[in-house]
Amino acid sequence: MPSIVNYLWLIPALPLLAAGMIALLKQRHRSLSASLSIGSLAISLGLSIAAFVPTLGPIEGGGGVKRWVHNLDWFEFGNTTLRLGWVLDPLTAAMLVMVTFVGLLIFIYSVGYMAHDENAARFFCFLSLFAAAMLGILISNSLLLLFMSWELVGLASYLLIGFWYHKPSAAAAAKKAFITTRIGDMGFLLGLLWLYGETGTLLFYDNGNGCLEQSALNRLNTLTTAGGMGVATAISLLLFCGAAGKSGQVPLHVWLPDAMEGPTPVSALIHAATMVAAGVFLIARVFPLMDVDPANVAGSSTALSVVTWVGAVTAVFAALIAVGQNDIKRILAYSTVSQLGYMMLGLGAGGVAVGMFHLLTHAFFKALLFLGAGSVIHGCHEEQDIRRMGGLRRQMPTTFLTYAIGMMALSGVPLLFSGFWSKDEILHAASVWPVSRLPFYLGLFGAVLTAFYMTRQMFFVFFGKQHLGKEAHESPTVMTIPLVILAIAAVLVGFWGTPAWPWLHAYLTGHELHLDLSALAKSATLMLISTAVVALGMISAWRLYTRKTPSSPQALDPLEAAQPAVFGVLKNRAYIDEFYEATVIRLNHLLSVTSDVLDRFLWNGLVQLVSLMAIALASVGKALDQFVINLGFDGWCGGLKQGARGFARLQNGQVQSYLRVIGLSLVALVVVLLWERRR
Amino acid sequence: MNYMELLGALAPEAIVVLTALVALAVDLLVLRQAPQNARQVVAVSITAVGILAAIIALSVAAPSPPWMDGLLINHSTTAFLKQTLLVLALVAGILSIQSRFTQHTGEYVTLLLLSTVGMMLLVSSDNLLLMFVALELTSLPLYVLTAFNKESPSSSEASLKYFLIGSLSAACLLFGISLLYGLSGGITWTQLATTLRAGSEPIVYLALILTLIGFAFKVAAAPFHLWAPDVYQGAPTPVAAFIASGSKIASFYMFARIFMAALPGTAGSAAWSGATPGWVPLVAALAVVSMILGNVAAIAQRSVKRLLAYSAIGHAGYALLAILSNTEQGMGSLLYYVVTYAVTAMGAFAVVNVIERDVQAPNGESLTDFAGLSRRSPLLSLCLLVFVLSLAGIPPLAGFFGKFYIFIATAQSGTSQGLIWLVMLAIGTSAISLYYYLQILKQVYVVESVGQPTPVQLRPAESACIVAMACTVLILGCAPNWLINRFSPNSTEVRRAGVITKPSTTLELAAEIHPRITAPLGTATGLVQKRPQFETTTANAQ
Repeated sequence: MPSIVNYLWLIPALPLLAAGMIALLKQRHRSLSASLSIGSLAISLGLSIAAFVPTLGPIEGGGGVKRWVHNLDWFEFGNTTLRLGWVLDPLTAAMLVMVTFVGLLIFIYSVGYMAHDENAARFFCFLSLFAAAMLGILISNSLLLLFMSWELVGLASYLLIGFWYHKPSAAAAAKKAFITTRIGDMGFLLGLLWLYGETGTLLFYDNGNGCLEQSALNRLNTLTTAGGMGVATAISLLLFCGAAGKSGQVPLHVWLPDAMEGPTPVSALIHAATMVAAGVFLIARVFPLMDVDPANVAGSSTALSVVTWVGAVTAVFAALIAVGQNDIKRILAYSTVSQLGYMMLGLGAGGVAVGMFHLLTHAFFKALLFLGAGSVIHGCHEEQDIRRMGGLRRQMPTTFLTYAIGMMALSGVPLLFSGFWSKDEILHAASVWPVSRLPFYLGLFGAVLTAFYMTRQMFFVFFGKQHLGKEAHESPTVMTIPLVILAIAAVLVGFWGTPAWPWLHAYLTGHELHLDLSALAKSATLMLISTAVVALGMISAWRLYTRKTPSSPQALDPLEAAQPAVFGVLKNRAYIDEFYEATVIRLNHLLSVTSDVLDRFLWNGLVQLVSLMAIALASVGKALDQFVINLGFDGWCGGLKQGARGFARLQNGQVQSYLRVIGLSLVALVVVLLWERRR
Repeated sequence: MNYMELLGALAPEAIVVLTALVALAVDLLVLRQAPQNARQVVAVSITAVGILAAIIALSVAAPSPPWMDGLLINHSTTAFLKQTLLVLALVAGILSIQSRFTQHTGEYVTLLLLSTVGMMLLVSSDNLLLMFVALELTSLPLYVLTAFNKESPSSSEASLKYFLIGSLSAACLLFGISLLYGLSGGITWTQLATTLRAGSEPIVYLALILTLIGFAFKVAAAPFHLWAPDVYQGAPTPVAAFIASGSKIASFYMFARIFMAALPGTAGSAAWSGATPGWVPLVAALAVVSMILGNVAAIAQRSVKRLLAYSAIGHAGYALLAILSNTEQGMGSLLYYVVTYAVTAMGAFAVVNVIERDVQAPNGESLTDFAGLSRRSPLLSLCLLVFVLSLAGIPPLAGFFGKFYIFIATAQSGTSQGLIWLVMLAIGTSAISLYYYLQILKQVYVVESVGQPTPVQLRPAESACIVAMACTVLILGCAPNWLINRFSPNSTEVRRAGVITKPSTTLELAAEIHPRITAPLGTATGLVQKRPQFETTTANAQ
């Protein structure tokens, strides 16, 4: 076992420590707090790479995935010992490197972006907490530890989205994010408890005793619950609720676009590296559990089928809405939702490697796009509406170039860009999915839309006439350098997983890796289809928006002019928020009003009645107290004081009278005795 | 009779006498010109050494058989009481270091120690003669000590009153015991117990009353309490503390022993319905008057020392309940009560001593001098809180269990709870007493001090004593069994001591006269049955 495993806990602990230290600093120590954040994450990155290296080595003793765990007792109650632990396997290692690397770039970028914010120190505190929580999720070898980190991520995202809490929309968005993800987390918690009830452990891997290992899975495989559904399926679906909430899957996606209210690095952090990836990572982590299904007849377990369908629907649905958006960050947000749908689709149809590949590539290019968007916003003086931009490619050349690379990676422009390879894998998996071909078609349609809305955005922002009132400027170097690095990464990471050399696939699943150029030829058909799809999307957008570029920000979008009804639906995000407003929230409101009325009139009336009776009793008691007891007591006390004075007077200081008292007492005692005797 | 053996049995007392003489000689011969403070430290150090030696001598001494018809008895209870007395004398000595009431340090320490010797002899005598001598040896130095503050007229006045009333009481006592001797022809408890019967002649009652007056004076039971407030206030505070603590233990022990052991035939009954003449109803009368008068009159006091004097009168009333219960259980509860009360009173007086030195008022301290003490000295205030609450009988402090045991013993002693009325009265007066005890604490913790609160000057030895006493009160309250078991009738030590003091005869007679005494004494009567030979030898000896 590599020694780094014992120190794996340091990776989340360092940012956590930094967050704690910054929390204790004064707000004006902005450079110190930034250094602490960046420094701690840089060390974490170093440790992550150190942890990554041993996982690359040849597999000892034949096949299987390399995996080291370190478990420890947390506390005992009765005979039960609750154990926590961390795990190092390829999945963790790859994610660790990605999260710390992208996170580090985002942290550096934040130095420039938050330069003018007076609460920058607080911002870095939250960022570090966020990173720590995410890294905690990654190394957890216990569903409980993962859940705890998961909730910490939720808390940190709440704090970050609401960072500009003085903006009502930001505060509302933070609340929305927190509450919506909590709904999913409820399912997660139930699944966690159920899993603990069935297997008696929450450790993933524990020398054959963990809940993801063969013995536990075999036991789960024999259990069914009401309606013939496997217990494993039910638990998996509950866990998927949590993942869907965090990863913004339909129908719990509504919080994600609103989360754009946070500062842009937050958006990048949430969408690219951390929060949304957490849901996908959770599914990848518990994949063995998801795969267990006693009723597995069609070649895919029920849980994974649900994941696939939800992913496919999300991919298309969010892409559609992205077409109708005008806010640069909102487009990216819906794009993220859509891409998360692809990841889920990949996980469900193709397994861990397929989903994770897209997760990793997406992390890089989406971080790039968000940071690029942030750069644009920063350069345009906090303007976010793409219709008010235009022609920025001259003023912001670096941003333009890197943004273009990100856009092409996202759209899946063939061969050179990472998004192409990862999306191609997903489409390939979907095309051979035994259950249905429909997700594959949905995926293709989503790809068209992706290319379309990204091209549309590019035209609005960087081409055409300039609509910005003020002069735009290129962002400072501290912001552009991360863009460049991410742009390079966005190109390169795709080559880890080409069909010819599926390194990542082999790495994650522990298969033998060999270069096979013939695999390229095998998937050539699919690659051609995918290329055509991308070209269709880009060309249609190009034709639409170069021909009929809106002359002014107020003008109608060409699509809107052609199909006002459809575009209106898309522009208003398919009225999902309104739908929730009208159903869930109204129902909730109705319930709360009912409760309020009940509380106010029924219960309160009862309480009032009881209290009135109590008051009536109390006044009787008071009267008794005042006129009977008090007077008596006062009389007593007065008597006591009188007596005290009387006794004190007895002590007149005259020794003669003292002696006289003694004599009298003697006589009195004699009299008493004689009287008693006579009786 | 071997005089060396007698000296061995009297070793602790001899050590204390020797210490007194050494301290006097050193002070007068060597340290005449030395500064006052040095003289005090040296004198108290010599005292401490002597007292420690005496305590060690007491703890290693084996119980000895009674000497010369009960002239001197030693067993574990007397040893424990003597040790307590010695510790209290030492504390009184330590408290008087740095006090300015006298220049005559040697004489002061000598008198203190001589009085202590008197108390030690008092607790180990079963003989009327030695009892009277010991009582006088206790009292006379205390009269002088009360007058030791020559600068204060009230000190001399108090001493004179103390002496006059003491003389009258001693006269009564002497008259009483001479009547007892005349009636019985004996001076030991055994002789008295076998002879005196209730209802024989009226002169017996006169003897009882006169004897009772002598002890009622010593324990400051009303209406023979009149000296107490003046003496407590006028005497130097360490002396007052010693009078309130050490003198009380010795006198109460002798009080209880002479009536319980020597005069069981004349006990009578104090039951609410059906009182019969005897010393029990007399004690009950004193107890009732003491509890009411002490606790009520304390309310009107403005000086804490006077307040403590009246509180002492009230406490004497509670202790009298234990005596009139007239059982071994009552004896145990009495000893627990007086020992814990002595420690508590000594502690309270020690705090008063500090405050008195601090304010330097010409007329002594008053209640308002304690205002804001909690800010001036939190430690002292906390200790005072412990002492005062213990006096008031708040659990878990020792004072609570003292009262508790006494009430239990009293309630169980009379036929069909005939004495329960006394317990009810005692509980009622305890409630009244809370008022004036809380007055002290109100001054300490609630009332703001006048002007800027300045820290109270405390000497290390003094504060160590005060803290130790506060801890003792707390510990005895938390673990009352440790102390009460030493005095319990089930304790093997007391049983052994009982054999030595020939209780079988007494108990047998008591059982004859008053069957109710035997009920709580099952073990002791069992002892009688187990030792028939012993009884025969006793009978032969008589």
